[in-house]
Amino acid sequence: MPSLLRSSILPAILFVLLPIAAPGQAAPRLPGELAWAIHSDPKTFDPAKVDDQASELVRYLTGGVLLRMNRQTLEAEPQLAESFRVSPQGTLLEFKLRSGLRFSDGSPLTSSDVAWSIRRILAPSTESIVAAEFLSPAAVSIETPDKLTVRIHLPKRIIGLAEIFDQIAVEPANRPTEARVTSGSFTVSDYKRGQYVRLNRNPNYWRHDKAGAQLPYATGIRLDIQNNREQEIALFLRGEYDLIDNLPPDYFRVVAQKSPQSVHDLGASLGTEQMWFNQAPGAPLPEFEKAWFQNRSFRVAVSEAIHRADLARIAFDGHATPGTGFISPANKIWHNDHLQYPHENLPGAIQLLASAGFHRFGNQLWDSSGHAVKFSLLINAGNPARQKMATMIQQDLGAAGMQVTIVALDYPALIERLLHKQDYEACLLGLAVVQPDPSFGMNIWLSSGENHQWNPSQKTPATPWEAEIDKLMLAQGSAASVPERKTAFDRVQQIVADQQPFIYLVYPNALQAVSPKLRGVQASIVSPGPVWAIDFMRRDPGQGGAR
Amino acid sequence: MKKRVPAALLLLLLVTSLGVLWLAPDNYAFQDRDATMAPASVRHWTGTDELGRDRTVRVAAALLIGLTGAAAAAAVTTLIAASFGLLAAFSPAWAAALLLFLGDVFLSLPWLFLLMIARSMLPLTASPLETAIATFLVLAALGWPACARAIYRDASVLRSAEWMIQGRASGLRTGQLIRLHLVPHLRPLLMPQFFICVPAFIVAEANLGALGLGVGEPMPSWGAMLLELDNSALLARSPWVYLPIVLLVVVLLLVESFATEGEANA
Repeated sequence: MPSLLRSSILPAILFVLLPIAAPGQAAPRLPGELAWAIHSDPKTFDPAKVDDQASELVRYLTGGVLLRMNRQTLEAEPQLAESFRVSPQGTLLEFKLRSGLRFSDGSPLTSSDVAWSIRRILAPSTESIVAAEFLSPAAVSIETPDKLTVRIHLPKRIIGLAEIFDQIAVEPANRPTEARVTSGSFTVSDYKRGQYVRLNRNPNYWRHDKAGAQLPYATGIRLDIQNNREQEIALFLRGEYDLIDNLPPDYFRVVAQKSPQSVHDLGASLGTEQMWFNQAPGAPLPEFEKAWFQNRSFRVAVSEAIHRADLARIAFDGHATPGTGFISPANKIWHNDHLQYPHENLPGAIQLLASAGFHRFGNQLWDSSGHAVKFSLLINAGNPARQKMATMIQQDLGAAGMQVTIVALDYPALIERLLHKQDYEACLLGLAVVQPDPSFGMNIWLSSGENHQWNPSQKTPATPWEAEIDKLMLAQGSAASVPERKTAFDRVQQIVADQQPFIYLVYPNALQAVSPKLRGVQASIVSPGPVWAIDFMRRDPGQGGAR
Repeated sequence: MKKRVPAALLLLLLVTSLGVLWLAPDNYAFQDRDATMAPASVRHWTGTDELGRDRTVRVAAALLIGLTGAAAAAAVTTLIAASFGLLAAFSPAWAAALLLFLGDVFLSLPWLFLLMIARSMLPLTASPLETAIATFLVLAALGWPACARAIYRDASVLRSAEWMIQGRASGLRTGQLIRLHLVPHLRPLLMPQFFICVPAFIVAEANLGALGLGVGEPMPSWGAMLLELDNSALLARSPWVYLPIVLLVVVLLLVESFATEGEANA
């Protein structure tokens, strides 16, 4: 009989239920080794070519740098450099190296290694994303007057030195080793694709603790490549992993129930969750829809109709902070404390829509030309918090008479629509912000930027307010002092709050789980989060070994 | 007949679901945001989901949507299969071979991916109801080749049956032959086909839903509700999370029992 259809039922059920399978086994832990999970394979171990999160973490743990940004004070701390100075015009940087520096293989580390590593970053053939931070990398020149001094001549002042040099790992000149020979805390010793990256302590690391003991304390690190969060949490609770960074909000409660002392909600992170409307004039949308999306009153009304406190409370189980603008309040240096933004106000939103020519008939909102206000909201599939936010926004905007359909797409399909075809009406996504300094956002805020998502890659600014943002962003990029930059940047935040090209919804909180056995962890919301002070981290020897 | 018990149970489920939808104070989309993941209470008999939506109402709606959608799709697919099988059976040998080859090509396609592609080609603004209809139509359009082969085999046996030859000899036209002789004989074959397709389509819709490609929010569907089982955090918070999967298995077993009864009778 027709067994094919029948036989397809069982595999189909299994297909639905398979992800609930029991937790697997982690590789055995070596003595003194720390272990946690990363969620994808590092794309490269070459520190100059890093452009994904996993590779960046490996570079952070293995690469020796001239300056490191303190993840709590956000200030530059000298590392391989003993001291540094910047000329008054900002065009000359001079680094003095510590004496007696050596690479992990014992060979001496001198100014020529530093110069070679920086030149490699600047070379166009390397395609390093850090090069752009030097504004015009080709015009930068580097000299090494002696073995301990490096001078960098810049065509013009650059900003965020701590962040830039934090990303430049010093490698042995003319023999890049893909992090096998390093000047940082660890070296890569073993990598099994899809399984783990193993790091060993660098025996020649320059740093010692106050008592004179060699750092780092941990003998090694195993980074398991694990993209199943359920398994990651199960292995953490079994003591196989020492920490979880970016704990998903719905799992916070589970971990807290089983191990209350290990979970930490550090408050708002630097990241944002936002929705926006497609305002691109070339988008394949009907003209009347473009007219809604380009109408400031429409966007502000949408913003006012959304219950952000509910989003934070329900979609993130309370582990998020209602959003106001694109700089999180956790970013104390750059957040505009006097920002005026649209508050939740449904009657106000309905009034604003009426004044903009929209009218309600029954439960449906209509525009002045007689079109029902309906649009789709794209989200990426597989993000439960975003799915919940979208469903809640659907109800909130329904109260204002707008019909929203939610469309979950996988990432490639989503990016195709957003960037290439611009074939969408509205989109809800998040932005993981890794650097507190606003210079990272140039590509988003400049109207010519590719990531200026509501209307990308404009030849000339489409609106006066976008032109003003362009001017202010360029001004803050070349301003000499932080207060001057802050004034310009505060104004950008205010324009964005007034115009609502991005409607900011929430700042997800930074959620971390750290094993109570782990010592020396210094909490931070800035990437790489809890492991930023890796040199001082170790498992409590008093409580035995691995398990 | 044993068939009566599953039929009665299924009917009871359907009537209960309709009753729940009729009597419940809230509709399936209403978010009671002050009562998310609430336990069972007088207002919410089986509690609420993560967005504060009544679980009983949503499960009842999902059951009705899933069952009617799958039944309609199964009817369409059985019809297509019957037409295709009969056409092949009554065509010259070379045409039958060609048609069957076509069916085999269809069979060998990776149906889950086809479903995904077909479903993702829908316009973005399709309403939840339209997505539901489209999902089941796609299932119907892709589900027929296996049935068609079975029907072809039985129909070709029937074609050379003695009473068919006698019918033809006594001057019945093809249409009359099909109506008077063929369809009554094929019915014992078509009914189980239909009842086998129903659970298969329910599960296929659940699969698509679990991939985010099924029935759109806020309309409830098995797939979206089964996704909750993927989250151990939720499982720990409410036993009612298991309600959809339990009901799904019950419905599948009930519908399957029709198919096996049909086979036994055939």
